[in-house]
Amino acid sequence: MTAINNECPYISKNKITFSFDGKTFPAFEGDTVASALLRNNIRLVGRSFKYHRPRGIYTCGIEEPNALVQILSEHNEPNTRATVKRIYDGIKISSQNRWPSLKFDLGAINNILSPIFSAGFYYKTFMGPKGFWKNIYEPLIRKSAGLGKPPKNFRSKSIHQYHNTDIVIIGGGLSGLIAARKFINTKYKVLLIEQDSFLGGILKNTNKVESINDNSPSEWIKETEDLLSNSTNITVLKNTLVTTYNFTNHLVALEDKFSGKKIDLNKSELTLHKIRTSQTILSNGHIERFISFRNNDLPGVMLASSFEKYIHRYGVVPEEKPVIFTNNSSTFSLLKSIISLGCKPQAYIDSRRKDEIESEIKKFLKTNNILSYFDAEVEGCDGNKKIEKITVRQGKNYYKINSSMLCVSGGFNPDIHLFTQSKGLVKWDKQIASFKPDTSFQKTVTLGSVSGNYNFKKLCDEIDEKLSFLKTKKLNFEIKLNVSNKFSVKELWETKKKNNSNWSKTFIDLHNDVTTKDLKQAITEGFDRIEHLKRYTTNSMGTDQGKISSINSLAIVSKLLKKEISEVGTTTYRPPYAPLSFAAIAGRSTYEFYDPERKTSIHSWHLKNNAVFEDVGQWKRPWYFKAYNNETMHQAVQRESKILRESAGILDGSTLGKIEIKGRDALEFMNLMYTNAFTKMKPMTSRYALMLGEDGMIKDDGIICKINDQHFIATTTSSGAPKVLADMEEYLQTEWPHLKVYLNSITEQFSTFNISGPKTRDIMTRVFPNIDFSNEAFPFMTFKNFDYQNTKIRIMRASFTGELGYEIYISPKYGLELWKKIFSCGKAFNLIPYGTETMHLLRAEKGYIVIGQETDGTVTPIDLNYNWMIGKNKRDFIGKRSLSRPDTARDDRKQLVGLSPINKSDTIEEGQHIVEINKLPNKIKNPIKYLGHVSSSYHSPNLNQSIGLAMIKGGNNLLGQKFFVTVSGKTQNIPVEIVNPVFIDPENKRLTS
Amino acid sequence: MILIKCPYCGERDQSEFANGGEAHVVRPQNPENLSDKDWGEYVFFRNNPKGIFYERWVHSHGCKKWFNVVRNTSTDQILKVYKVNEKRPDLTEFENTLRSPSGEPSVGSGNFAVKK
Repeated sequence: MTAINNECPYISKNKITFSFDGKTFPAFEGDTVASALLRNNIRLVGRSFKYHRPRGIYTCGIEEPNALVQILSEHNEPNTRATVKRIYDGIKISSQNRWPSLKFDLGAINNILSPIFSAGFYYKTFMGPKGFWKNIYEPLIRKSAGLGKPPKNFRSKSIHQYHNTDIVIIGGGLSGLIAARKFINTKYKVLLIEQDSFLGGILKNTNKVESINDNSPSEWIKETEDLLSNSTNITVLKNTLVTTYNFTNHLVALEDKFSGKKIDLNKSELTLHKIRTSQTILSNGHIERFISFRNNDLPGVMLASSFEKYIHRYGVVPEEKPVIFTNNSSTFSLLKSIISLGCKPQAYIDSRRKDEIESEIKKFLKTNNILSYFDAEVEGCDGNKKIEKITVRQGKNYYKINSSMLCVSGGFNPDIHLFTQSKGLVKWDKQIASFKPDTSFQKTVTLGSVSGNYNFKKLCDEIDEKLSFLKTKKLNFEIKLNVSNKFSVKELWETKKKNNSNWSKTFIDLHNDVTTKDLKQAITEGFDRIEHLKRYTTNSMGTDQGKISSINSLAIVSKLLKKEISEVGTTTYRPPYAPLSFAAIAGRSTYEFYDPERKTSIHSWHLKNNAVFEDVGQWKRPWYFKAYNNETMHQAVQRESKILRESAGILDGSTLGKIEIKGRDALEFMNLMYTNAFTKMKPMTSRYALMLGEDGMIKDDGIICKINDQHFIATTTSSGAPKVLADMEEYLQTEWPHLKVYLNSITEQFSTFNISGPKTRDIMTRVFPNIDFSNEAFPFMTFKNFDYQNTKIRIMRASFTGELGYEIYISPKYGLELWKKIFSCGKAFNLIPYGTETMHLLRAEKGYIVIGQETDGTVTPIDLNYNWMIGKNKRDFIGKRSLSRPDTARDDRKQLVGLSPINKSDTIEEGQHIVEINKLPNKIKNPIKYLGHVSSSYHSPNLNQSIGLAMIKGGNNLLGQKFFVTVSGKTQNIPVEIVNPVFIDPENKRLTS
Repeated sequence: MILIKCPYCGERDQSEFANGGEAHVVRPQNPENLSDKDWGEYVFFRNNPKGIFYERWVHSHGCKKWFNVVRNTSTDQILKVYKVNEKRPDLTEFENTLRSPSGEPSVGSGNFAVKK
């Protein structure tokens, strides 16, 4: 039965209620889920991961492997540690991984079938037949895997906070607080981080310390807290867990701002602290480990120090008559606590020989008449969903003890997780039978039990000495203890089993249901490296990362391999120290805050005129405009394309990247960056140009306007602009610093409209009556600047549709006004707005390429038959030398061709393969010869057939030949003819008229 | 996340920078005179040592300036930062710097956490 410790000063007397699996229970403010459950004598709280075995509360902190619950209130948070989550009035909690109920779980059949679920089960079992993985195994495993259910419809408001500080102290226990007191009113900026909701650590968890400087521990903590909060240079973060220790003393810590309170959905519930510090002080303590024995997972088994924590911190004695099983001296304080509360342990089992046990313990056991077994061990325990009987072995004798709770202590591990994350080296210490920090790699100091020092008397000296390099005060506290200061431990990792049964198991990892038998089997199968063994057995790979058991598994493995533990080594400790919610990592970078949205100055008009938008990089571009409500995309694009070639259309091209290139050597620079020759180009003319990588492959394209030899404007693709500018900068700064050239991104300084179609000249003349748009005055690929009302505009004659076209550049401030004016003038000529999809269709009819569609980083200008764009007389430009590399100059490279279906009503798909056979075999046994792929495909309303552009091996020599295009999901291919990629106006009559 | 000291702006978080690979790989003056093999070496091959590495960084979310860094790739320690037009520091300058967190071999991964 549970008992109460009325002396506990840390638990509030305010009564609250909570519900667990639908039933309501009383508790106190300040309780965790676990302490509240124990208070109500509930010990069965969950089912295990693999075998669905009944599980209870094993620990009292972050190391908990078993008691994971789902919080139904708030946002349905799964896999919450019952031992950490503090409750509030009315919170609703449920158990996990059980069906139909916690007490009767059908999944427990796995436990009976356990012989087939041994190490490597997934690798061995789900091998065949073909198709079973995708259709049967994977859905099944996915359904039964995991523990809780993910949250739904919750939008986290978690935020990130940055700190730059001198000292970070991790852990506000005894040593952390002493260290912090040394920094009071010094010049150092200090951050003290504590994972719990209070400071004090071991002072509150046990009654080991009687007094500090004649003050009771709680008085001393109060005094310290007051001093720290009055000191202006120290900040204390509570409820904050350091999860990550990176290079350059960069720490990541998660703060739960609603610990013990109901989450306010309007506020941020988590803060992720990103901290840079000059010096890190680790005082994050130790974690108790367990001992493996038969059925060491039954509800009722608990770590001894956790039992002690429940008594002192929460005022709950989980059981009046527990059995204690230990291999070290630390359980003495637990013994004393239980007796002082008027309870009595049922038995005390110590694996050490009688002469190894401290005389004060032996004396205490005798005085209080406690049944004791020395040089003995727990063989195992039995019971139905709880411990009923405990079997003790002493020599050859077995004793059965009736009890429902067993406190286990296998010794203490310094919590080296963060220290090893920082790349510090650890060393095996025989004295404490554990790893402890040895050499720091960064500016890291470890203090107290994390450094392997369990001696309270030496603590102040240790802290003074280790922090002597800093300018701090010398402090000395007289620490009086209730128990002996000495710590002694005898290695014990696994006890011997008396008999075998399918139900009985000896666990090494409670979270992932790994047994010591699995470890042995894995070693037999050859997994003798600890990192391989871990992954094969999934040992210590649960959400608790084996905090109470990983050192045990190393010890068991080292015994099996007949090696020293330090030779076996540890597995790598990686961040995070404990699970970190994705919401915290994402912070505010979610939904509309994930990436900026860029909109042109015409955006509002597009919205009013039923534009459907497409994302191009960060830009929102009209994809097509709906003429009526249920017009489909296909209908809209066909309509827009047809009207444009009959009259005129206008496209908002403001998103195109624009870079200004200015300076004494601008001409030389442009000649180096682009393939084209700019030297003989006349001022105020423009040219379509290609930019290559040093490997000769096309990177970007655009139109280059030459104002004069010292001034160019380059346009780039909408999404390529930042990269092109960055590349230009790189060459200027690193390869050609002698060139006097200045670059400037002017994309957003202009609104750009592309107006094209046979009626364009009429419209332009109406919009700008003072400008002569005749072919003679304004020929193709020239541009001019004009005064227009209160501003200046630039008009260039260029086209991406193959029709007569102009590009207008104007300040965005006047963009919308001009756009509207063009429409009022264009009405009489049936001017339509068109989107990117129509633009793509029209350029494909004309055989123009799109970067990223026809090109994919493996296409040279020669592959596109763009030889005319290469300034062959230029000595050098980026990528020139690569064009004559043997691989780049091959004849059978994929080259750009057009495709025309032989049956005009056939539609070919983008991305399909081009092959030589008209029908694929039903079962493909041998590879089918592949010639190339369809890079663009549209139904052309102007030709009234499907057209395509394709990249085909040796395509230039295949004109007029017949091939086949595959169809997704079908074996019958579509016959096509290889044609010239320019389908409309190959003589450029429309363009230049 | 490491800290990088931009020679123009000062110490900043790594997220403000972009890495540009090996430093001191000069673009050949006369590419047309190079054999295919030599040109291929320049375009496609870079060193990737474990240990001391001369590399380029750009303060892409800052001043956009390129500069050079000497970094120990096995510890992420930055040993020196210098401007593009400054002389390449001699390797002997860094001989006494810490080689790796755990003294592991000069090739291969090293995750040894236990001191031998």
